[in-house]
Amino acid sequence: MFERVEKTVTPVDKANLSAVDAQMPVRFERPSWLSNILCALFMLFFLWSMSSAGLSLSDLVEGLPNMATIAGEMVPPATDRAAPMASAILVTFQMALVGTVIGIIISIPVAMLAARNTSPHPIVRHVTRSVVSFFRTVPDLAWALFFVASVGLGTFAGTLTIIIDTIGFCARFFAESMEEVDPGPSEALASIGASPIDRIVVVLVPGAMPSFINTSLFSLEKAVRSSVVLGLVGAGGIGAELAVSMEMFRYDQAATIVIMIFVLVFAVEQFSSVIRNRLLRQSV
Amino acid sequence: MNSCAEPLTMARSVSATTSSLQVSGLAKSFDGCSQAVFSDVSFTVSTGQSVALIGANGAGKSTLLRCCARLIEPDAGTIILDGVALSSKSGSELRRARNRVGFVFQKHCLVPRLSALSNVLHGNLAHRSGPRNWLQGLARQEVRDRAMDCLDQVGMAHVADKRCDQLSGGQSQRVAIARALMQEPKMLFADEPTASLDPQSGEDIMELFSSLVKARGLTLFFVSHHIEHALHYSDRILGLQGRQLLLDSPSQSESLPSLRAFYV
Repeated sequence: MFERVEKTVTPVDKANLSAVDAQMPVRFERPSWLSNILCALFMLFFLWSMSSAGLSLSDLVEGLPNMATIAGEMVPPATDRAAPMASAILVTFQMALVGTVIGIIISIPVAMLAARNTSPHPIVRHVTRSVVSFFRTVPDLAWALFFVASVGLGTFAGTLTIIIDTIGFCARFFAESMEEVDPGPSEALASIGASPIDRIVVVLVPGAMPSFINTSLFSLEKAVRSSVVLGLVGAGGIGAELAVSMEMFRYDQAATIVIMIFVLVFAVEQFSSVIRNRLLRQSV
Repeated sequence: MNSCAEPLTMARSVSATTSSLQVSGLAKSFDGCSQAVFSDVSFTVSTGQSVALIGANGAGKSTLLRCCARLIEPDAGTIILDGVALSSKSGSELRRARNRVGFVFQKHCLVPRLSALSNVLHGNLAHRSGPRNWLQGLARQEVRDRAMDCLDQVGMAHVADKRCDQLSGGQSQRVAIARALMQEPKMLFADEPTASLDPQSGEDIMELFSSLVKARGLTLFFVSHHIEHALHYSDRILGLQGRQLLLDSPSQSESLPSLRAFYV
């Protein structure tokens, strides 16, 4: 058993402790004047933004009966056009799938040009990264409008949009995941004279594979959600059906489409979750 | 003991025909550091010899070992590896020169997601590039058999299909040695091969090195912090201290106390 040692604090100890306290930094620093000004400017900008955003409690209250009416008209969902809607949702998924797969295939070599440890030259890396960044920052609806104007209305414009969107997303994350791979195994193979291509295929690709799988499956989920909206601007798929139903005030049909979209997105998310777990456990 | 105030700037006179590695006047400093890691380092490793390189942390042992295969580019000096002057080589010529040397690292440097057999197959990339040596499923039967034989020699045939991230440190190091054997090297470089292992596993790995070197007539050049390993498993000991090679001596003429001076 340990003996409890009683220790009394003497005035000398107290004096020492206060001397130590005096040397320690204060727990909370007073913000600088620059921080205060920046904080005040942010608050002013936020208040201005609230007025620009059109927030209106009265409009919301006035709109509540309309929301209730529309919600009421959505029930029960219409089944009279279920067959063409199911066909449209299948086309939407096919468009997303094909666009994503082609996008991923193109993303792999693009990522190799963009990654620091695989790019043949810094200039090539910077140019590739800039192009990928451009693909990513332009919104998919803008790409869809561009492709509808270029190749006409329909699914081809939507598929091209998804390809570009996937490259912008996947190439960036593929490149970053290859840069994060432990350089040890690559150095080990360099030490025995293995070629750069062998090292990329044998070390970097398996090393980045978990991230490749995650990014690819997330990209598919993203493409499915995105392909629903693309139809609104004429790029094919279920979005066109949804736009027509809303314009014709057929909220019951719109409800059916929303349910179908939910089922599709939920199914893709569940499927990708299962595939992700299964693939990440396998060895090669 | 050959440890002395003056650095050993002259390599021992061993003829080129019997030496696996000749280094002379080697110097290296890193960007941003005013002082050199080491300078004017010269030594020779004769064919069939086991040579240990000792020195305190930061003495430049690993850097020197990597410079010998030009994995790190030296600032000055010449390196002759198995009769080939590395200094003048670049690209594919340098890769060809490197394929005579098997490297074993402290952290094993295996591809974690791949099987032990696939990792051993990678040793064959030293001689033949391409998909046949990327994965065990793509390899020719005779190459797979040879890889299995290498695993068997290090006692790891039973983990051939296991992923390398599921192996223990000792098992991983054995697989890394099997990869080096797959390469059929003339020389083995080992950078602190027992540093991440427990004492018994470390001893086992050094015994394995010793038996393989004798059985295959390999030349071994290894870095170690274990003075006992340096004394027991090497024919010669090199000591780095104060940025210079201060010791080049047969291991029989050294003792634990004399070598401890390199860790002060």
